[in-house]
Amino acid sequence: MQNRRKKAKGNEFGVENKLSSDLVANIDLLKHCFSYGKNNDFSMRVFQAKYNQKDVLLCYYASLVNSDKIEQTIIRPLLEQSGSSLYHVIIPESVKVTSNLNEIQDHMTSGKAIMLMEDDPIAYSIDVSNFEHRGISQSENESVVRGPKEAFTESLRVNISLVRKRVRNHNLMTEVKKVGDRSTQDVQLLYIDNLVNDKLLEEVKEKLDAIKVGNVQNLELLEQYIEDRPYSIFPSIYYTERPDNAAIYLERGHIILLMESSAACLIVPITFWSFIHNPEDRYMRVIFGNFTRGVRFLALFLTTMISAIYVALANFHSQMIPPDLLLAITVTRERVPFPLILEVLIMEVAFELIREAGIRIPNPLGPTIGIVGALILGQAAVEANIISPIIVIVSALSGLTSFAISDPSFNYTVRITRFIFILSAGFFGMYSLVMAFTIWFMYAVSLKSFGIPYFAPLAPIYLSNQDTYFRKAMRKEKWRPGYLLPKDLQSARKDK
Amino acid sequence: MKVDKKLAAFEMFSLTMILIALKLTDTTPSLFAQKAQNAFWYIPLLAFIVILPSLLILLYLLKHYQAKHLINLLEILLGNKLGKAIGFIFLLLNITFISLDSRNYVEQIRNLYFLNSSTLIIFVLFTIICIFGAIRGIEVIGYTAKIFFPFIFISFFLLAFLIYEELVWDRIFPIFGSGLPLIVEESLLKGSIYSDFILLTMGYSAFRKSHDFNTGGLVGLLFAIGVITFFFLIYAVVFDYNSIEKISFPFHEITQYVNLGDFFTNIETFFMVFWLLATFIRFILLLYLLTWLFGAIFNIKHFELLILPMGYLVMVVGLVPDNSVVNELIYRNQLLNLMTPIIMGFPLVLLLIHLFKRKKVEN
Repeated sequence: MQNRRKKAKGNEFGVENKLSSDLVANIDLLKHCFSYGKNNDFSMRVFQAKYNQKDVLLCYYASLVNSDKIEQTIIRPLLEQSGSSLYHVIIPESVKVTSNLNEIQDHMTSGKAIMLMEDDPIAYSIDVSNFEHRGISQSENESVVRGPKEAFTESLRVNISLVRKRVRNHNLMTEVKKVGDRSTQDVQLLYIDNLVNDKLLEEVKEKLDAIKVGNVQNLELLEQYIEDRPYSIFPSIYYTERPDNAAIYLERGHIILLMESSAACLIVPITFWSFIHNPEDRYMRVIFGNFTRGVRFLALFLTTMISAIYVALANFHSQMIPPDLLLAITVTRERVPFPLILEVLIMEVAFELIREAGIRIPNPLGPTIGIVGALILGQAAVEANIISPIIVIVSALSGLTSFAISDPSFNYTVRITRFIFILSAGFFGMYSLVMAFTIWFMYAVSLKSFGIPYFAPLAPIYLSNQDTYFRKAMRKEKWRPGYLLPKDLQSARKDK
Repeated sequence: MKVDKKLAAFEMFSLTMILIALKLTDTTPSLFAQKAQNAFWYIPLLAFIVILPSLLILLYLLKHYQAKHLINLLEILLGNKLGKAIGFIFLLLNITFISLDSRNYVEQIRNLYFLNSSTLIIFVLFTIICIFGAIRGIEVIGYTAKIFFPFIFISFFLLAFLIYEELVWDRIFPIFGSGLPLIVEESLLKGSIYSDFILLTMGYSAFRKSHDFNTGGLVGLLFAIGVITFFFLIYAVVFDYNSIEKISFPFHEITQYVNLGDFFTNIETFFMVFWLLATFIRFILLLYLLTWLFGAIFNIKHFELLILPMGYLVMVVGLVPDNSVVNELIYRNQLLNLMTPIIMGFPLVLLLIHLFKRKKVEN
């Protein structure tokens, strides 16, 4: 594919793909190639180097480079210093040599300065890039009480450094894959070379190679290009903005994908449990962590099921509700004109609307919507006899507990599931609800993420720490997940 | 990346438990009680002892010949045509049996919770879930069974715990009920309640090792017999011989007896949820195995495509009996009696052929 792309570009300009030793011809070539004059931030400068008295051309995208650095490390040394060769004169840390026009283009667009010299058919590509990005800030979507607070930011270099800071291992590889035919972006694959399964790595690379689009701007889009089932309601790739989380998964033998301009990473392959677990479960003592997990499983049950169970019980199995409670429900429902399932749906939809609006609303207006929402949902709707008070409690419970599922992707799964269950419960009560649940669950169990069963290592079983519903004490964790087929299965020291 | 996705011993254990132990929730106890009266509770145990040698022989032969599944074993031992013919008879018996069995469960759901709905609608829904589940394949069924099993087990255990105050232990006497010969006869005839396990041997190749299948299966069977006997004993001492004959679904009856404290007095729906989960898994598995059996007999490799027509067939056959009483006391009873000698006999025949073949090789 690489070759095809190069060929296509060569034809585009109708010129030779290589540099010649004639500087003037080369300058013309570059001017033509980068639309000099039309393209405002393409800068070019010609001057004479002192050390060999030859003409030098320096060109770069002014918006991508650090001009101070160019001044200090390239131009001034070349103008003022003498020496035997170029490398004795210029200072920058990274200089690459190329003569291929396509490579020059790639280097230019990734923030390098290109230097050509008289009588020389090669170009020096000097790294002086300075992409603007946000500083490192606190993790906003996956906040923890105990544990590191920093999150990835929109700079590849910073993100890699955040990971390397945690994984002090020379086997940590940061391999680059190019994606996109027109605007080529780097996808950085991070893995620990002597842990990761080679076939898995190959599969991920194949998936990246198979992307045939002009531009993949960021990770969020990349995720949708490499996932197995785009229409599934379950996510199969883990998206996290926490570098500590990434480091944990790296050590287990997973692969991390990073991209410039994404403040997060993708982790593959993944299981169902990763979406339920939270890094904080591990930062807290085992009992506290497991207690939180218990609460989270309860939240998962409540958020998906409580409204549906209410519909099923009140409509079909009212004998199960204790008489006093049943009477209370009946009294409050007396004046409500709608059927029960419609009532529940109105409330749930209203909650979803407020939630969506709450995300999109401009910050200064934020508190307003809270008040309006609470008033409409809580007070006014009940007083107007549109809904009964118990529905407010039920849907508030199901809405609130959904926030305990911290993973943003899985959160959507849970919310869609809730509607599926409510509708099915309205059909045949518990019978159809259990039916829907069984089908939903069996679908989830049948899923695979890069060939790994979704519910591993619970079903099917593999040698691992059995970190599923609850986790073990840290010092009893001796294995890496066996389902990843890592090169080294044992994570504890061998002599133990 | 290819990881081993086959099933392990615990999956087999869960599948066997759900497949066999679920009998305690249907009409099997009242079927037994018709003749044996209050002594029906140990019939499953006796019936198991009767059928155990055949099951062991079958497991031994499957392992010895490294057979892929039951039909494969029959083909190895009896030759292609005869093996398939026997398999076909087995298939017919099983289709009828599973159809009547599913009708039995549909009637339970209808009679207990949806009296105003028609059997047809409930049966259609039931078939739909079975088809959807079965299409996911044996591995997914196994995983699901494994994940659900602890919850189902806990709910049954909770039920046994809550019913404790209702038990009158003296009701187990007279210990031989309506007479020992009658009980022994009934036990001999009803060995076929374990015939589902023989169908499960169709899934032999879906397990990682034959050891997983054997251990999981045998431990599962033993546990299942234990649980069945335990629950039958509970029915016997809760209801006594007079009422147990008249109660068609003793399991659901006792879920209506129990309270959880003074506030929650009707918690049968809670137990129904777990019972439904187990029922779905059971029939999903049976439908899958049945289709596999069909596929193996007629050399159809992608038999998963046949799950839909097979599910439809099971439903149609299940709808034939006029009502649940006829279904239960006539068809199902007769079929159970008919199947027992076949289930008991054919592994013995297989063993004889095996021994004969071995002798021939030695000579």
